[in-house]
Amino acid sequence: MTSRMTPAIQLTSITAKYREHAVLKDLSLTIQPGEMIGILGPNGAGKSTLFNCVSGLLTPTSGTVKLFGTDLRKMPPHERARAIAVVPQELEIPVPYTVAEIVMMGRTVSIGRFSSPSARDRQAVERAMVYTDVADIRQRPLNELSGGERQRAIVAMALAQEPRIILMDEATSHLDINHRLEIMQLVERLNREEGVTVMMISHDLQMAAEFSRRLIILHQGQIVADGPPHSVLTEDTLRRVYHCDVRVCQDPKSGGISIMAAPRLPSVGTGKGIRIHAVAGGGCGEATLRRLALCGYTLSCGVVNRGDMDAEIGAVLSVSLALEKPFSPISREALQVAREMAAKADVLVLTPIPFGSGNLANLELLDEALTAGKPVFIASGIENRDFTLARNAEKSILLLLSRGAKLYRDVAELLTLLPAKLSD
Amino acid sequence: MHNRRNFWLVLGLTPLILTLCVMMGPSGFGLPDINTEREIFMLRLTRVVCGLVIGAALSCSGVVFQAVLRNPLAEPYILGVSSGAGLGAAIAIVTGISALGATILPLCAFVMALITLAIVYALARNGTSSSIYGLILSGVIVSAVCSSLLMFMVSVSSIEGMHSILWWMLGNLEVTSYSVLTFIGLLIVAGCLGLWALSRELNALTLGHQMAHHLGIRVKATVVVALLLATLIASAAVGVAGLIGFVGLIVPHIMRSLVGADHRRLIPSAAIGGGAFLAACDALARTLMPVEIPVGVITALLGGPFFLILLKRRRVQNWLE
Repeated sequence: MTSRMTPAIQLTSITAKYREHAVLKDLSLTIQPGEMIGILGPNGAGKSTLFNCVSGLLTPTSGTVKLFGTDLRKMPPHERARAIAVVPQELEIPVPYTVAEIVMMGRTVSIGRFSSPSARDRQAVERAMVYTDVADIRQRPLNELSGGERQRAIVAMALAQEPRIILMDEATSHLDINHRLEIMQLVERLNREEGVTVMMISHDLQMAAEFSRRLIILHQGQIVADGPPHSVLTEDTLRRVYHCDVRVCQDPKSGGISIMAAPRLPSVGTGKGIRIHAVAGGGCGEATLRRLALCGYTLSCGVVNRGDMDAEIGAVLSVSLALEKPFSPISREALQVAREMAAKADVLVLTPIPFGSGNLANLELLDEALTAGKPVFIASGIENRDFTLARNAEKSILLLLSRGAKLYRDVAELLTLLPAKLSD
Repeated sequence: MHNRRNFWLVLGLTPLILTLCVMMGPSGFGLPDINTEREIFMLRLTRVVCGLVIGAALSCSGVVFQAVLRNPLAEPYILGVSSGAGLGAAIAIVTGISALGATILPLCAFVMALITLAIVYALARNGTSSSIYGLILSGVIVSAVCSSLLMFMVSVSSIEGMHSILWWMLGNLEVTSYSVLTFIGLLIVAGCLGLWALSRELNALTLGHQMAHHLGIRVKATVVVALLLATLIASAAVGVAGLIGFVGLIVPHIMRSLVGADHRRLIPSAAIGGGAFLAACDALARTLMPVEIPVGVITALLGGPFFLILLKRRRVQNWLE
């Protein structure tokens, strides 16, 4: 078995430049026949350039590329086409070729210039079409097919080349999840049954981990990790390469790796040490309270009625609450409790709650805060939430606004307006 | 497979159309009597042969420009190649060097056409790739420059020269010399056969230059040879018949929808169909009006709207399917 000895792809310290800018830097890589390899890395890491070097589209400025022991530069195009096939992300085909015609393109160099396809060519095409399950749609023009069918036909064209190496350049990234799996399973089968060496660029870390036995991560033109998926996909490496926090979990049952972006909330923790008193009620303050608590603000809330949704959420988020009996208007005593809380707060926030005569007293808290020179933020749209008879809430709020209170549209905007911790 | 059936349909209908063309003329409808009207018969026959050859050249070059530039609107007239060739031919006529030999005029036309194509392509290449509209826009501009240079030459030439250049610019199939027709005809037949031999490369090139590379094609060499041959036959046609537009646009698209996009079938059908089309247009030009109108007027009248429909559809994804 000489093929065991000669690597399918051997890159020896290649450097490739694009407009004077080195995209690959002194990169060496050996791939054995029959391997199934995923190439990962952020945009601009050099993945496509690496593929272009392997497929001969680009000649490296230094270093050598060998396919099965033969220097790519010394390999005539027709021989190269028999060694390596490329499945692109998307092939724009401006003319109405049928599936059969497209698959026959895979035989371009084996069909003589002045002859029609031989029995051997027809057999290869037939086989490729059966393998990819496009034999039934062979007479359909390619541009009438669905994305998945089109891509299967393109894979069939690559198969008809009967290559020993297949490069998949993000070949599934624009497909729906079902078609994506379908293509990947097809390629996996090819690798397993036919021993075709597969090298694929993917942006889908999880899919790459599932279908490759070896992963390579490129970063700034160099290989930063190379090995089996579980050793390559570590939180450290991914953070270094992609500059974002991810969580890598291994499913104990299947052993599959799943990668999640860590919950990314704006200004998490920036509210530490800042006290906010929120006026909420009726469940309308729920989202605001939760978000503010996540950002680390110290919260108090009230006056709210006991048993109110916002009171319950507040209890869960350990917000200090000024409570009133269920379904009762605000009493002097409850308001006094809230007033003490508001006095300690740095900022007051009015969440988008409806007003009736029962909870109108809460607005006094905001008025007092403004007098004390504290910032006050008011959810916009009071005109739709004022159920007092004389539209007293709306009038009061207009007054508050004239005294310096600020409107906010939603929680996201509120977060940008709120003061954040000054240090760090 | 209906593609194949249509292919034979094109091959079969063409002799019929050509016979009809021979029967049409300003002196009446009907096959001229070989014995008594030998002159008329020969005149009509040479014009039909001329139309066949010129039409084949124009539509074949259209097919090839469309495939290599991957642009459904590419054709020699729109790309400015025809105007360039026309300018070259006019230079040869005005300076008198065309009189030195039958090959001089087509050679001048060819050289100028190549220069024009290179300029158009360079203008359209915005950074790395040339867009469909960029190519057409620069074609129009270069074409306009060539036309004004041509006009300049018309204005400084004598009255008779002016009429002949103008008439020639509008496009017509009047044969001036049999030796030129034979020479150009052989050139065009050879060029078309050469392009036919490149069918598989052209097929691969329509998938894009990168994909063609992956399929084992020598992309650069093929593109250069194909563009040279297409320019050669187009400029040869212009050298004989002047500026006949839109044949290279109409015929390839119709043929593609009839016989499919495989160049193995598309090139011969475009050649034969294009020849028949131009011969038929010429027959109309001879008989529609009491005076003969230039055939270029007929093809432009047919081709203009066709071009607009193509542009409107802009179904670049599937050219007229």
